[in-house]
Amino acid sequence: MNTRYNTPQIKPFAIIAFLLLSFLLNLSSVSAQDAEKLFKQNCAVCHSLGKNKITGPGLEGIAARAPSDDWLRKWIKNNKELIKSGDPYALKIFAESNGADMTVFTDLKDEEINSLIALIKNPPKEKVAVASAPEAGVAKEEQNGVNPLGILIGIISFLIIIIAVLRGVSHSLKNIQNEKEGLPNEEAIGVWGEIKLWMKDHKRTLAVIILFVTGGLLSSGWYALKEIGVYTGYQPTQPIAFSHKIHAGENAINCQYCHSGVEKSKIAGIPSVNICMNCHKGISKGPNTGTAEIAKIYEAAGWDPEKAEYNKPQKPIEWVKVHNLQDFVYFSHQQHVKVGKQECVTCHGDLKEMTTAKQVSPLTMVWCIECHRKTEVPGMKDNKYYESLHKKLAEKYKGQTITVDKMGGIECGKCHY
Amino acid sequence: MATKKYWKGLEELKNSPEFVKNANNEFAEQVSVEAFLGDNNLAVNTGTDRRDFLKFLGFSLVAASLAACETPVNTAIPYVVKPEEITPGVANWYASTYFDGRDYASILVKTREGRPIKISGNPISKVTNGATNARIQASVLSLYDSSRLQGPTINGKADTWSNVDKEIAQKLAAITNKAGSIRILSSTVISPSTKSVIADFTAKYPSTKHITYDAISYAGITNANAKVFGQAIIPSYKFENAQVIVSIGADFLVNWIENFSMPYAKNRKVSKDKKEMSKHYQFESNLSLSGANADERIPVKVSEHGKVAVNLYNEIARLAGIQSIPSTKLPCDAIIKKVASDLYNNKGKSLVVCGSNDTNLQLIIIEINTLLGSYGKTIDMETPNYLNQSNDKEFADLTSEMEAGKIDAIITYNTNPVYTAPGSLKFAEAYNKVPLRISFADRADETAALANYICPDHHYLESWNDFNPKKAHYSLSQPTIRPLFSAVDSGTRQAQETLLKWSGSSVAYYAYIQKIWADKVYPMQGKYMVFSEFWNNSLHDGAIEVGNGLEALPSNTKDKSQQPIVEIKEEKKLPEQINLKEIANKINSLNSSEIELALYEKVGMGNGIQANNPWLQELPDPISKITWDNYVTMSPVEMKQRGYKLMERQDREASVVSITVNGTSIELPVIPQPGQALGTIGIAVGYGREKAGKLSLQTGTIIGKNAFPFISMLDGTFNYSAFDVKIENTNKTTEIAGTQVHHTLMAREIVKETTLEKYLKDPKSGNKDEMLITHAGPKKAATIDLWDEHEKLGHKWGMTIDLNSCIGCGSCVIACGAENNVAVVGKDQVMKTREMQWIRIDRYYSSDMNKDIASEVGEGAIDMYLDMENPSTANPKVVFQPMMCQHCSHAPCETVCPVLATNHSSDGLNHMTYNRCVGTRYCANNCPYKVRRFNWFNYNENKDFTFNPSQDDLGRMVLNPDVVVRSRGVMEKCSMCVQRIQKGKLDAKTAERKLVDGDINTACAEACPANAILFGDVNDPSSEISLLRKREENERNYFILEELGVKPSVSYLTKVRNCDETIEEGKSNKKNSETIEA
Repeated sequence: MNTRYNTPQIKPFAIIAFLLLSFLLNLSSVSAQDAEKLFKQNCAVCHSLGKNKITGPGLEGIAARAPSDDWLRKWIKNNKELIKSGDPYALKIFAESNGADMTVFTDLKDEEINSLIALIKNPPKEKVAVASAPEAGVAKEEQNGVNPLGILIGIISFLIIIIAVLRGVSHSLKNIQNEKEGLPNEEAIGVWGEIKLWMKDHKRTLAVIILFVTGGLLSSGWYALKEIGVYTGYQPTQPIAFSHKIHAGENAINCQYCHSGVEKSKIAGIPSVNICMNCHKGISKGPNTGTAEIAKIYEAAGWDPEKAEYNKPQKPIEWVKVHNLQDFVYFSHQQHVKVGKQECVTCHGDLKEMTTAKQVSPLTMVWCIECHRKTEVPGMKDNKYYESLHKKLAEKYKGQTITVDKMGGIECGKCHY
Repeated sequence: MATKKYWKGLEELKNSPEFVKNANNEFAEQVSVEAFLGDNNLAVNTGTDRRDFLKFLGFSLVAASLAACETPVNTAIPYVVKPEEITPGVANWYASTYFDGRDYASILVKTREGRPIKISGNPISKVTNGATNARIQASVLSLYDSSRLQGPTINGKADTWSNVDKEIAQKLAAITNKAGSIRILSSTVISPSTKSVIADFTAKYPSTKHITYDAISYAGITNANAKVFGQAIIPSYKFENAQVIVSIGADFLVNWIENFSMPYAKNRKVSKDKKEMSKHYQFESNLSLSGANADERIPVKVSEHGKVAVNLYNEIARLAGIQSIPSTKLPCDAIIKKVASDLYNNKGKSLVVCGSNDTNLQLIIIEINTLLGSYGKTIDMETPNYLNQSNDKEFADLTSEMEAGKIDAIITYNTNPVYTAPGSLKFAEAYNKVPLRISFADRADETAALANYICPDHHYLESWNDFNPKKAHYSLSQPTIRPLFSAVDSGTRQAQETLLKWSGSSVAYYAYIQKIWADKVYPMQGKYMVFSEFWNNSLHDGAIEVGNGLEALPSNTKDKSQQPIVEIKEEKKLPEQINLKEIANKINSLNSSEIELALYEKVGMGNGIQANNPWLQELPDPISKITWDNYVTMSPVEMKQRGYKLMERQDREASVVSITVNGTSIELPVIPQPGQALGTIGIAVGYGREKAGKLSLQTGTIIGKNAFPFISMLDGTFNYSAFDVKIENTNKTTEIAGTQVHHTLMAREIVKETTLEKYLKDPKSGNKDEMLITHAGPKKAATIDLWDEHEKLGHKWGMTIDLNSCIGCGSCVIACGAENNVAVVGKDQVMKTREMQWIRIDRYYSSDMNKDIASEVGEGAIDMYLDMENPSTANPKVVFQPMMCQHCSHAPCETVCPVLATNHSSDGLNHMTYNRCVGTRYCANNCPYKVRRFNWFNYNENKDFTFNPSQDDLGRMVLNPDVVVRSRGVMEKCSMCVQRIQKGKLDAKTAERKLVDGDINTACAEACPANAILFGDVNDPSSEISLLRKREENERNYFILEELGVKPSVSYLTKVRNCDETIEEGKSNKKNSETIEA
């Protein structure tokens, strides 16, 4: 189960199917969903919906404790003002938290706050991961995945069997007829014998067939060789079932929030655990896997969710690299993303739709060069560095788009040193 | 319940004695391969026949393609908590300081993902101004030396710090109680905090005395200064102010007191706007780096050094109208007379230095400099140099005290006297008589191996420390990596912290330094109002200069720097007690002997502290170009007389001789050294380290022989020469790994040179254009082109190398290797001319033969060319020429590559694509400059090359992650640091600004202490290199082998010598060139 190697892409299908299913089921409670999203975006960094304290107190039973819903509304919107106004309960809370005030949320609309309060009052029940869902997905996958080649082979073998049976039947019939006519039995020469006879008679045709078959084999061998070391579709299982879909897609977290090196280094970088903890201090339960996977982050960071402090030894996470460029290639994210203003999607695919990261591009030199041949550097025109070069190139290639290769972007030493 | 017993077998049931014996061994005894094969035939006939070979071939092909089909799993481990300043993939730079008791430099350390990978000079420092040398450049590799101890040892066995601390504290207390003597023996300590730590230690154990001992001592100078000025100091020499420099046996360019190459080279540059250059006379026995760079070099015997000084004094005294002192006649008296008048005519702009450690000789030198008015001008007494405080006499006294059993404990710090002490002192024996021997050495070196306790110190790149190299100059070193060996209660520990611990203090050394700085250094400056601001800025800059004269150094420099500076006046009279006549008589009484030995330091190995560093072992000596060895240098004339192998015509075989001095003898190969004074031999110290580390195991032999025992004591100072030398031929031979076996230019104009006189008359002298004959008459080679010129779209990177500045020191070679992951190949491969260094420094000697002479003498062409191969033996002129890929615009290598692995870029570089190269080596054959290097082996994995740093788990950490580690079968060469070019460009692009001249610099140019190499964009008309080339276009700028039409991107500037034709001995290369031009 837990292979790191290239597994058939069952899981994403299964998960997508499952998510689709659960989405349909939850269609009726759209506002609750929004409230959850709001909560995650604004509150979850400091508060949990349960009892445990993160930076701020756990919110279970808060509505009962607070003087009124109206008070809660005021507090959420602008707690500082409430404290300033001398509200006794507000002052009490302020004192209890040792004078640490809460962030103000003046941008939140009243109905949004109302939905948040509703959420706090009725926290959503733990979603149980539906175990049967993935299997259903697999079945679906198998049904859909009819291999045309398989069908072809099936038809061919069916025909061969029919031909063999018919030949046998015809041979027997002939023999019966011969017997009737008193002629000696025809020798059974078999299929191979007949083919041999045919080949003797059709030497030219045979030569042409052999030529084509050999040519076909060689060319397919050639293309097969080219595929060696190309791992498009590589999607290893990671030590933590991190979902890009949830983070980048549903929660719309900017790629650079975690891959912070992308504009300043050749390496985009796998985020360090402390970046995960920025949010996951507050979010200890996920929609797919519940607490199990997020607990792995806590383990790595040495975080004790009960006491809300780092008190255990750190254990670095060993991620599996998805995109493996050869050592002899120097690739710089900074050059492509910051200077060339390329989108992450261009090479990495739409991670907002991907659960586990997957290599969608072949990362071959042909692939690099093809892109360099047709891409006009978006940032070049306004970049002072390129000013004079751009002017000279525009003169040289009158009217043509100035693609990367025209600027020397396919010279060996730009990537290989 | 009955317990059942199961037997493992019948043996156990029988319980035979053999079984009982073996039962404790979990694993069966290993069966050797021979025993396992049993049948002898199997072991012998393991040859593979053709069919087997084909089977293997087929199998491995299939296996390889199958293996390639499976996705390799690479894992990546990000930080748990990423330090804010680290971005993976981006380098961080830290200012720090290198000081190993010998070399000092304020440096910048480049770190990647927390690993230091490159050292470069810190230009902020007013002491070193960004200069480094090869040893300092290479020191980053010594950090990753797996021969370092990983924890303290007691009597050679690994133990814990708590045990060591407990035992030592007890023993030290016991010694103090019975008023026994404790000695701390160290090399020069210039750290104010360390001195204070030693003072704290002395306070706790009052019978402690700190003795400073340097393997290479300058006690002669300090003693002489003490006698004359009452200050036991070494002044600062200002070579940049000296118009006439005379050195008597001082190799001041890299190896004398400090690295003087930068100030020296500053005054050697000439141009349209600067028509003066210094004139440098060198009197010496061995051909040193300084001698090779001198305008006039006069070979003299070692015993004559003093006499030269005396005669020089007399000549100057005569000019100054002062009484002369007794002198002896010397063959070079005529030259001395000329030198004296040159010096005297440049009063106040001249400088005389001497490499001898003899106090008397240094007294004469002081008198000469006083007569020349050098003090205050070219010699700065106000800014004493603290880098060499060795007190040779105290060291000798200590040895005899130890011998007599009067010392109860000795702590050695950063010194290795068992290896470096003069043989006559018999230090090892005396050392073993001390009951408590503690060493702070980072490895079990020659001294530490004899110690009871080794308490390994951090490497300097792991430590905090402070330095006071010169008066009013301070610098700091900071850790650039967490200590590599830092296990609990084991690992290395900063020596200062260890001493503090033993003194009963548990303060961290970092806090200690801050306190010392707050108390002592901070009050001396007036720039910062708050200490934290001062500290942070000092740490950021690495080096600072504070106000003058307020220093009060703690502990043992009391007698040195605390006394007020005496007023130095030009007309200063000698104090009565110094009797120059007596000194002169003493110097003159030294009789010369048949063979005299002069010990010297090599640029690579120095005093041998980094003998385990393969980069330095493979650095060719600037003069002999020999790697991985030390040897005896001798004049070829004498070698011929003695019947030694002359190593002519690329012969690598050398005779091995046995050298005996004062009963100590070593066997070394002898190599011919043109210019070696007759009757003298030279041997480099720093070799023959038996306990330097793994390198000798990995290479299978101890590299070279130790010449330190040949040092003798003379009047209380170490004498680095010997007069009673016996040489015997052992009739053995050995092979020498030199990177250059062809020593002359054969009348080719690869190096162009002229004299200052000619240059001033005609700036283009010596640099005549190459002319090609065409149908339209002779034309300049540069104007004829078979190819179209390249478009001038963006940048075109180029380099200009000033041959006048290049001193040949080899810093660039090490810097290039560190930057570009150049493999170390070992002695065997160097002998096969397979060294991998991307930049080499060609050294050429002048020859006695040229076409003129041949036609005069009537010698035939074949004989003439054969003679041209031989350098002139007596006193050849030497030139250095850095040579790397010339990045030809019409590169001959590019056109012959069958797979297009090397081709031209739009910014003028000749790219080499390793992953495309199939190793035909056509390119190397077609390269006129012979700068391409082929990977004959996979140096990074092949077990024959275990000494290669990239084969060691620790050593690998020094590799530059931005540069590929090349594999077997590919060609490589200088890339003009393309990774730096790309980085510089990317930085500019990111900041959306134009690339500015100076944004990018190559590793070699950055490391050059003489600023001989200038790198830049030739297409940018405002860049420094464009301006320089424009200015020198019709003067000194030239391209090597321009007539080939390859259009190199690297140009050179003609070497200008400040030679007088009067001294010129007639035959020189210049004549050659002129004849050819004519």
